[in-house]
Amino acid sequence: MVLFTMLFAGFAEAQFQQSQPEPKELSPVSRTYAITNATIFQAPGRKIDRGTIVLKDGLITSVGKNVSIPPDAIVIKGDSLHIYAGFIDGLSHAGVTKPKDESNRERPKDPGNPSPEIAGITPYQDVRTSLNPTDKSVEDLRAAGFTVTQVIPYGGMLPGTGAIISLTGKTADEMILAGKSVFYSELAPAQRVYPSTVIGVMAKWREMYRQATLAKNYETLYASNKAGLNRPASDRSLEAFYPVIDKKLPVLFEADKYLDIQRVLALQADFGFSVIVGDVKEGWDAIDKLKAAGAKVFLSLELPEEKKDKKDDKNPPKKEEPKKDDSAKADPEKEALEKRKAESIKQYIGQAATFKKAGIPFGFSTLTVKTSDIQSNLRKMIASGLTEDDALAALTTSPAQLLGLSDRLGSVDQGKIANLVISDKPYFNEKAKVRYVFVDGLMYKYDPKEQPKTDVPAGINITGTWTVTTQTAAQKQEEKVTFTKEGNTYSGSITGAGMSQAVALEGIELTGNKLKYSYTTQAEGQSLKVNVEATIAGNTFKGTSSAGSSTSFSIEGKKDPKR
Amino acid sequence: MKKIILMICLSIFINEIKAQSQQGNMLIKNGTVLTVTKGTLEATDVLVRNGKIAQIGKNISAPSGFSVVDATGMFVMPGIIDAHSHAGIDAINEATSPVTSEVFTGDAINPFQMSLYRALAGGVTTIHAMHGSANAIGGQCETLKLRYGVKDPEQLRMEGAPRTIKFALGENPTRVHGGSGIVPRTRMGVEFVIRQAFSQAKEYMTQWDNYNKQKQQKGFRGMPPAYNARLETLAEILKGNIWIHCHSYRADELQMLLKVCKDFGIKKIVFQHVNEGFKVAPELAAYGAMASVFSDWWAYKLEVYYSTAYNAAILTKNGVVTSINSDDAELMRHLYHEAAKTQKYGALTDEEALSLITINPAKQLGIDNRVGSIEVGKEADIAIFNNHPLSIYTVPMMTIVDGVVRFDREKDPADMRIYVDPKQDLDAVSLQEDYQVDRCMEGAEFMFENIFGANLEE
Amino acid sequence: MKILQYRFLTVLLLLCAGTTYPQNPKAKFGTYALTNASIETITKGVINNGTVVISNGKIAAVGTNVQIPQGAEVIDCKGKWIYPGMIDGGTKAGLFEFGQVAQANDVTELGDVIPQMKALTAINPNSAGIPITRISGVTTTLTVPGGELFAGTAALVNLHGYTPDQMAVGFQAVVLNYPRTGRRGFFDRRTDEEIKKATDKAIQRVNEVWDKAVEYHKLDSATKGKMQYYPEMQALLPVVRGEMTLIIDVDAAKDIQAAIKWVGEKKIKKVILSGVAEGWRVADEIAKANIPVIAGPVLSLPTRDYDKYDRPYSNPGSLRKAGVKVAIKTEDDNVNYRNLPYHAGFAAAYGMGREEALRAVTIVPAEIFGVADRLGSIEQGKSATLFVCDGDPFETKTQVSNVFIDGWNIPMVSRQTLLYDEFLNREPGLTKEK
Repeated sequence: MVLFTMLFAGFAEAQFQQSQPEPKELSPVSRTYAITNATIFQAPGRKIDRGTIVLKDGLITSVGKNVSIPPDAIVIKGDSLHIYAGFIDGLSHAGVTKPKDESNRERPKDPGNPSPEIAGITPYQDVRTSLNPTDKSVEDLRAAGFTVTQVIPYGGMLPGTGAIISLTGKTADEMILAGKSVFYSELAPAQRVYPSTVIGVMAKWREMYRQATLAKNYETLYASNKAGLNRPASDRSLEAFYPVIDKKLPVLFEADKYLDIQRVLALQADFGFSVIVGDVKEGWDAIDKLKAAGAKVFLSLELPEEKKDKKDDKNPPKKEEPKKDDSAKADPEKEALEKRKAESIKQYIGQAATFKKAGIPFGFSTLTVKTSDIQSNLRKMIASGLTEDDALAALTTSPAQLLGLSDRLGSVDQGKIANLVISDKPYFNEKAKVRYVFVDGLMYKYDPKEQPKTDVPAGINITGTWTVTTQTAAQKQEEKVTFTKEGNTYSGSITGAGMSQAVALEGIELTGNKLKYSYTTQAEGQSLKVNVEATIAGNTFKGTSSAGSSTSFSIEGKKDPKR
Repeated sequence: MKKIILMICLSIFINEIKAQSQQGNMLIKNGTVLTVTKGTLEATDVLVRNGKIAQIGKNISAPSGFSVVDATGMFVMPGIIDAHSHAGIDAINEATSPVTSEVFTGDAINPFQMSLYRALAGGVTTIHAMHGSANAIGGQCETLKLRYGVKDPEQLRMEGAPRTIKFALGENPTRVHGGSGIVPRTRMGVEFVIRQAFSQAKEYMTQWDNYNKQKQQKGFRGMPPAYNARLETLAEILKGNIWIHCHSYRADELQMLLKVCKDFGIKKIVFQHVNEGFKVAPELAAYGAMASVFSDWWAYKLEVYYSTAYNAAILTKNGVVTSINSDDAELMRHLYHEAAKTQKYGALTDEEALSLITINPAKQLGIDNRVGSIEVGKEADIAIFNNHPLSIYTVPMMTIVDGVVRFDREKDPADMRIYVDPKQDLDAVSLQEDYQVDRCMEGAEFMFENIFGANLEE
Repeated sequence: MKILQYRFLTVLLLLCAGTTYPQNPKAKFGTYALTNASIETITKGVINNGTVVISNGKIAAVGTNVQIPQGAEVIDCKGKWIYPGMIDGGTKAGLFEFGQVAQANDVTELGDVIPQMKALTAINPNSAGIPITRISGVTTTLTVPGGELFAGTAALVNLHGYTPDQMAVGFQAVVLNYPRTGRRGFFDRRTDEEIKKATDKAIQRVNEVWDKAVEYHKLDSATKGKMQYYPEMQALLPVVRGEMTLIIDVDAAKDIQAAIKWVGEKKIKKVILSGVAEGWRVADEIAKANIPVIAGPVLSLPTRDYDKYDRPYSNPGSLRKAGVKVAIKTEDDNVNYRNLPYHAGFAAAYGMGREEALRAVTIVPAEIFGVADRLGSIEQGKSATLFVCDGDPFETKTQVSNVFIDGWNIPMVSRQTLLYDEFLNREPGLTKEK
């Protein structure tokens, strides 16, 4: 799958398997590429139809409609391809070797005075020392379209400094775009030793900051004139704070939960350091405070799973079995609870749109998301009010800016680093697949996987016209929805009250007996995207129709008899 | 589709309104007002303006824009104050060291805990969110107002309340640390640990005082003493800026701490639990030490085996400022009933009994000038009951904090969660027995697993 | 204040009699006439200005027009009330002395199928908690062993006597702690699969035991009792045969439903459900199954964070309204069985009503334990197990002035009252004269 195989893959094993050396990977014949006649999204809002890009020796040398192709270029015909700037991830552990889990180690003799390492206090560590370019996480993240990520070391409350890396390279050093990019911290207690609680961590944090401030001042004093002064004690941990105190190095906290963010901002308020809050999952209520603190933000790409019947997921019902427990007893209490849960989930999914609305620039972080969920989670965010341009900005220009790399990264412009992600359809489309990723001008090619056959049970055929009833708080509303099928893809349209003309359906998906589609409608000069999810049973379906992040209605569909 | 848009707008609008100001205006009409400090006033109105009690009297008319609560037939009392709670905080015990004065429960406030609302539904308006009792000198504690519904943890703090710190004597610190081979293993060791800590803090203070003095001199160059957050906090105790709240049970250990405090010039000391306080009530009264007790808890371990439910009455009658606390999410829901038990065990008067959960705990937290009674000028923290709060048949109907209704039995929905965990298993069931770990020792349990290979109960 | 004076007098008398202080005074057996009292009979309404005559351990007469036997000690109860002794449907009385020290309690034996372990065997008649409990009017408790599944055999005891046998009322029941399925709150980190596995395993275990017991019963009948020694099965035999009650401790709604179904399938005759924290969720189903419950503790926390805050308080009332027969228990962990009237009082205030709550701690438990011929009401011929107090026994400030158990006039002292007497005005005070 990956054209450029990692030479270091299996390096350790190779020592024991000398009789069977790995087949040697051949290098590409040229480091010049030209992608022709493609749709190029240079940056949010800047698009070139049928344009050409030339990459040479790791840089973008030209972009445009009328670009001459150098003779040494490997040409990729981009007629159906969509090109974006390589995605930039604000926070991950990609390529970082995880230390051995020592949670089962023996009970410490004096839990109140552990060594700094056991206490999780290693701010002097540098993530660059634990980078492994052949780690599978590098490959996975790249395959999702990411070309650059800010990596942080594993550890406790003060694991060390992070670095910004390119997701390519044969050695750790080759990967580095910027070393010591952040001073990383988590409000993570140590196991069985001090500080074993979040309150211990907060207290220790403050104490170290104050100690570091005093030590730094004294060092300055000492440096100015050493006569008559005791030499300052050397303390690697405290010294690591110095650039933070000078505001030369921002502190990046992983703080996914709302209360963690609050606690981080409390520390920030005490000392005024530059702060980045990473992998935010529950930040919408902290927006004002984040703004006031001038915090930079990376939102998590992980989202809570939407409520689905788990049993159905694993074993789609083979035939039309009316589900007994669902229909037999309606439990109003449970329904209300499920509704609150669904509303809650919508807040998580709508977080990015909420931040956008509040005017806080943000990037994304992949720290805790499964890479296979990234694309679909982005689509969920877009369905909840984030525009595609906003999403693209959060993947490219915004993080480039937040990481101070705008001069090199974030857009498809001449002179920038040749980091690209190329998909077969517009990236945010349901069925878009990443076909190429360029990192530092190196090409990674992805063959389209065989479309898994959608397992549509016999008896389910959505083509035709349906009458769909939406039950709003005040009234019932009826629409006509028509589906047609060509090959394996569906298309369709909707007409109804308030729609002057038929509106095309988007993203129609039929998996098992689950139907999904969406459409955009105009009302009072505003456009509104409506998402529908329904479960089909024969010639009827039931489901929900939702718009924005806060409103959803139950809908019912009935297939009109064939004329 | 217009409807949908309208609804979206509406829901945004409602969210805006919810972020309302924290100081309310209202008129509570025609209730029996139990002021606690100024007697009982029949058919009396209480006017609340900007979160403060503005007027108490008859036939007060509501200024325009003031909501009116009809308290006819109801009993209006000051919001209940729980001087010993572990609710509203995400961390309780930094149990790794016998002295952890630098940690602060106020760093881990959690405004979403359901126990806060449940306490409100029992008339409680202020709690002392304490560090646990694993250490001889534990962490600093935070006084919280139960403004349930706010999300920002800062808004739960009772700003301006004196700083407090948890100490602990007896079985808990000796088991947690002594069991791991660290002093203290006995009550002798507990005294030593505390005296040692204070002595070190005294030296630390001197070092810094000297350094700061020298720094004033022109051209001074020198190394500052090592900053130590632990000693820094202990120094604040010695300076009288932090009040000690000490988990304690036995008479001998109470006297020990009194002597230590005397030797180090510490005046502000409140004993917590203090099940054998009744045995040394004259000594406590003479020192001016206060006591915050359970109404009737006993037998959960050896050091509370020789307890009596008459403890609060004996202490009160010997002149010790006494309160009744919960230390427990369940007990916290009915402190009014716990206070009533002192009428069974010791025949305290209504006013004495109510003082135990209002003005007395306010004194113990140093907030009696602001809350703890219904008086003009005090903060409008008020609980309204449908019967006399000391009656078993009473039901708390409404609880008001800073003039804002935070609990309303008639209007509140059953589900009062603020944040809904999207991963919550709705069928999960927690029973009383699941809660039955001594909250005071929460977080210290892992230490016990090491020592005894078993979970710590009670 | 009257009660204080009384207690003071008792202490004085003891001192005068040369008894070593503070030894407990003894209970007295005799003939008593409690006169001028309001009598809450429970079963036959309230008798104003009435008399209860106690003789030979029994209630010899009740009424307004009662002849006081010669030689009877008359206790004037003017302004006071007489109630039958309250029955706590679930305690560790006598088994648990104090916590955290394993040697100080005998609550839980090893094993998950140990119905042959009898609580009555280990009840310490001199436990400090016993006088503390009874002088509050709680005269009778069901003492229940703890543990997993078939945890042992509970015993109903009166809180007076010098041996377990003297305390035993007669009722005993095998206890089944029905397997807790489902997740146990947010702290339960098991996966759905692990939970299901654990559930299936536990249910399978219960079925296995029961089926064995049924088999044992059949063979025992066939061999006319000549089966080999098998203590577990022998202990279950009377339950299988419907001669003994099975108390099923179960709390979660789903588990209650499962337990009811199980009882139906196994055709178990005598069953009581105990705990039933989520009984209100399935109250109609419990009523339909016609199984009585011992609800409690009432003073407890809701089982789910989204439940209304007062559910534990209103649970007994909800169950009663659905038609379930409801008794109440404290199940207190810290030997505060004396708080039974307050558990009942909260139930009363939150929907059960005073009358039903009163029944739930007197006649109803007596009925479901099959001892209503002796306990649970003030009726002629019943055991003289009752108390005198100066008001509503649920009201917190009410003082209990006299307690009779099986006709024994109980001294109104406990370690806690003795400590009060000694320390209210401590001598020496602040300074000790030497």
